[in-house]
Amino acid sequence: MPVLEVDHLSKDFGKGRVVDDISFHVEAGEIVGLLGPNGAGKSTTIHMLLGFIDPTAGTIRIFGKSLRRNREDIFARLNMASPYAGFPNRLTVFENLMIYARLYGVAERAAKIRNLLGRLGIEELETKQMLELSFGEIARVRLAKAFLNDPQLLLLDEALGGLDPYAATLAKDVLTQLQREHGTAILYTSHNMVDVEEMCSRVIFLRRGRIIAMGGPTEVTRAILREDRKKPALSEAFIHASRGEPHAVE
Amino acid sequence: MRLNRIAAVIERHVYDAKHNLERVTDTLYWPVMDIIVWGFLTLFLARHGNLRPGLISFLLGAAILWGMFRAFQRDLAVSFLAEVWSHNVIGLLATPLTLREYLSGLLAINLLKAIVGTAAAALVALLFYSYDFFPYLIALLPFIFVLMIFGLAVGILVTGLIVRYTTKIQSFTWSITGLIMPFSCVFYPVSALPGWMQPLALALPTTQAFEGLRQVVAGGGFSWERLWAGLALDGVYLLAAVASFDALFRSARVRGLLVRIE
Repeated sequence: MPVLEVDHLSKDFGKGRVVDDISFHVEAGEIVGLLGPNGAGKSTTIHMLLGFIDPTAGTIRIFGKSLRRNREDIFARLNMASPYAGFPNRLTVFENLMIYARLYGVAERAAKIRNLLGRLGIEELETKQMLELSFGEIARVRLAKAFLNDPQLLLLDEALGGLDPYAATLAKDVLTQLQREHGTAILYTSHNMVDVEEMCSRVIFLRRGRIIAMGGPTEVTRAILREDRKKPALSEAFIHASRGEPHAVE
Repeated sequence: MRLNRIAAVIERHVYDAKHNLERVTDTLYWPVMDIIVWGFLTLFLARHGNLRPGLISFLLGAAILWGMFRAFQRDLAVSFLAEVWSHNVIGLLATPLTLREYLSGLLAINLLKAIVGTAAAALVALLFYSYDFFPYLIALLPFIFVLMIFGLAVGILVTGLIVRYTTKIQSFTWSITGLIMPFSCVFYPVSALPGWMQPLALALPTTQAFEGLRQVVAGGGFSWERLWAGLALDGVYLLAAVASFDALFRSARVRGLLVRIE
């Protein structure tokens, strides 16, 4: 059963259409990459899924329900990480995570937080204020926040951006472990094509608000490059699509 | 409503107070400064024989309650602004926290701050000007309630305006009570206002509360009429504020402003 269903979703800002009639779904336990060049509509799509932006048209169902009418239930089982989301700067890492853990009703908050900080390799940051952290460290705290409620659906908007290779590996390990242990479905936007090829079973490629290709990484590569490829080459496909060269759909 | 989520909002502001000295000084500094200034004025007037008996109680009592109202309204909006300044709004919006729970948490923490600030101001008035506010407290509690509800309504409206128009209008948080004050008859009766201002003044719960305060302090007994009028007006303003917030929040969602608010 799909945990996320998006049907004919569009968003206009003024006279410009930012997301144009997109439909897709994410199954339980699936990791799906949402790709596209800057301005393709990825973040707007994620923000519509989270209810931060009202769609102009279309419907969104999460766990088979409408977000508007089932907000509390849905957000108890969902989490997100986005560079748009910050934390109160003067609070320590531990304090910030304690607040979020309480909001999610996490049992044994302190133990859960320490476990996540350890798994993400940032246990030494526990008592540091957010304003003392580097961009990459903040990204890891965001991920710790995103895993607090063992979500069934995780929306990650450029969540691994800014991480060094070691931190990115740890984060990916936690993501895959979460997927294995809790059957978490992940919708994941990134500009790192290697990560996407490695982690995602399916890819949705957006350009100028429209889906131009959807399927496994190799299928999407083939569809965009219009060549018979045996292996995924999403970086090449990305550059090709970003140049605005002709493309196939799905 | 879930208590754990209300407690999380309170916990966030307790941590904030621990790390931000200005949150504590806001709570204590302004109410105490107000009383010091008004105290000197009343002393000056009393020494020159210009102060009729009972006026010192009007002035200092009104200064204490106005300080409480202003601090409560301002702190409610600043609590939300603190989330905006730290880009924490969408983080909170993506949790099960409901607006009612969020407001309940803010109400609890800011009520506590208002009580602490008012107690400090009343203590300064007692120690330095021998003005004892505490005997009036029981009789004034219903009017304090009227002021708090109106403070909540104004705080909700200002928060809605920040959501819709972003921090471009954040100065409203500090200035809106200045706009309301001349009409609220804090230090003078409604009859002191020009005729055209009087209907506007009487349409404010603050005016009803301060008229009620003057009657209590002057020994004229408790005015149920002022209390009911204040509560009825509170109901109207609170409903209007909630409806406005809802419309402003919806408009911000349509325009995609929630993710860009800073």
